[in-house]
Amino acid sequence: MSIFALDFPAVTHLFEWPDIALSDTYLALNKTSLIYLVGMILTVVTFGLAARKRALVPSGVQHVAEGGINFVEQNIVMQTIGSEGRRFMPFLTSLFFFIFFVNIFEVIPFIQFPGNSRMAVPLLLALVVWVIYNYIGIRSQGFGGYLKNSLFPPGVPKALYVIVAPIELFSTFLIRPLSLAIRLWANMMAGHLLLVTFAVLSAALWGFGYVPGLLPFFMLVLLTAFEIFVSALQAFIFTILTAVYIGGSLHPEH
Amino acid sequence: MTARIQDGGRARRPSRLRRRAFAGALILLAALWFGASPVAAAGETPGACVAEKVEALNFGGRHGGEALAILKETAATGVDVGAEDKLKSFEKKLEGCLEAPNPIIPEVTEIIWGGIAFVVLFALMQWKLFPAVKRGMDRRAEKIRDDLDAAETARTEALEVKAGYEAELADARAEAGRIVDAARADAEQVRAELIARAETEADELRQRSDLDVEAAKRQALADLQSEVEAIVIGAAETVIGRNLDHDTQVQLIESYIDDVGSQN
Repeated sequence: MSIFALDFPAVTHLFEWPDIALSDTYLALNKTSLIYLVGMILTVVTFGLAARKRALVPSGVQHVAEGGINFVEQNIVMQTIGSEGRRFMPFLTSLFFFIFFVNIFEVIPFIQFPGNSRMAVPLLLALVVWVIYNYIGIRSQGFGGYLKNSLFPPGVPKALYVIVAPIELFSTFLIRPLSLAIRLWANMMAGHLLLVTFAVLSAALWGFGYVPGLLPFFMLVLLTAFEIFVSALQAFIFTILTAVYIGGSLHPEH
Repeated sequence: MTARIQDGGRARRPSRLRRRAFAGALILLAALWFGASPVAAAGETPGACVAEKVEALNFGGRHGGEALAILKETAATGVDVGAEDKLKSFEKKLEGCLEAPNPIIPEVTEIIWGGIAFVVLFALMQWKLFPAVKRGMDRRAEKIRDDLDAAETARTEALEVKAGYEAELADARAEAGRIVDAARADAEQVRAELIARAETEADELRQRSDLDVEAAKRQALADLQSEVEAIVIGAAETVIGRNLDHDTQVQLIESYIDDVGSQN
């Protein structure tokens, strides 16, 4: 697609990847699927090595794993659920590291594609979270109690229930999983588009001399650093919202 | 366990599991890299897609752009219905270069692989990895807590020992003070005794000297008297030219001496 003489790839062409193996089957492998698998393996290897190392003063991969656990425990679980939420630590830690590793491929040279800029994993994880927090809510409050507390939140003036109940119905049971999925997917897709835009711009303007070429290249470097931050931030947001939803299901009064 | 914690596993060689995990990750990364490269963004532009479609076009025995020009001319005449259909079909193919599935609709295959990846990850984390790492962290916390308690106990003991040493030191200082005072008193006593003895000896010496002086004085007087007697006798004999009997001599001498003595 030529825009102002730039041969810019079509948006969809930046995200659609051909099959590498097992084509035309439900297990067809493409770049995105491989990123999901590598993201999983990286998390497993990180925690596997940390579990074996057990140094008194953690360093390297042990530091990453233990720092991650501490981060999820202190900044997510204790802030949103409390000590009762410690039993969800394996799930929340898996969620955080998996999303982060799948995201961070956006800035890994020669791969440069965030797996979560495809809708598959964000939607899947959002649905898993939806099932989990609803299950926890029904289990801890009973079906009727959970439905009542969800639609008629405690502490809200009764007169406002006419407005609040329909909003909560949509928000809790429909919007939450969609917003979780779309937030992660859209952020990663937008980040990838930004990086591609400035990469194409740098390549195109390089022919006009160093100065016009260096400006978009400088932006590209800055945005690459920013996308590292966004990768971690989106993993954090997805995980903390999951914890907030689980905490809300356990303690409706909050 | 303490030894394992302390050595930190540094001396251990990489296990088979670790080597396999590393090799697996490398293979997957390599597959990712090589699998991705044929469809890098530069080769996937709509322009390239259109160029490829045009290059593949065959019409009227011609290929590529030439075939497209002939096809357009033929279709424009409206004589060849087949040419019109072919042109429409070709334009649809070109539109296909700009069309792609809606990006918000997820791929089923990607959902399956993503689901497999997350389920495997969560199962491993829940079953083994998370508890193992958390156990290590808890053990470390427990060890640090124990070490702190032990350090506190050792500190308390050290303070007690220090207090004991300080008390002993104070006792020793007091004892030393007492010893010094006693020694000083002894020395004072010895000094006083020595002074007293010296004074006594000096007094005795002085008395002895006085006696000696007195004796010497008496001896000298006696000697002097004898001498004077002899001189006087000699002088008297010389003067009177005769010998005086002894009693006279004595009488004379004594009167002389008395005279001399009274003059002195």
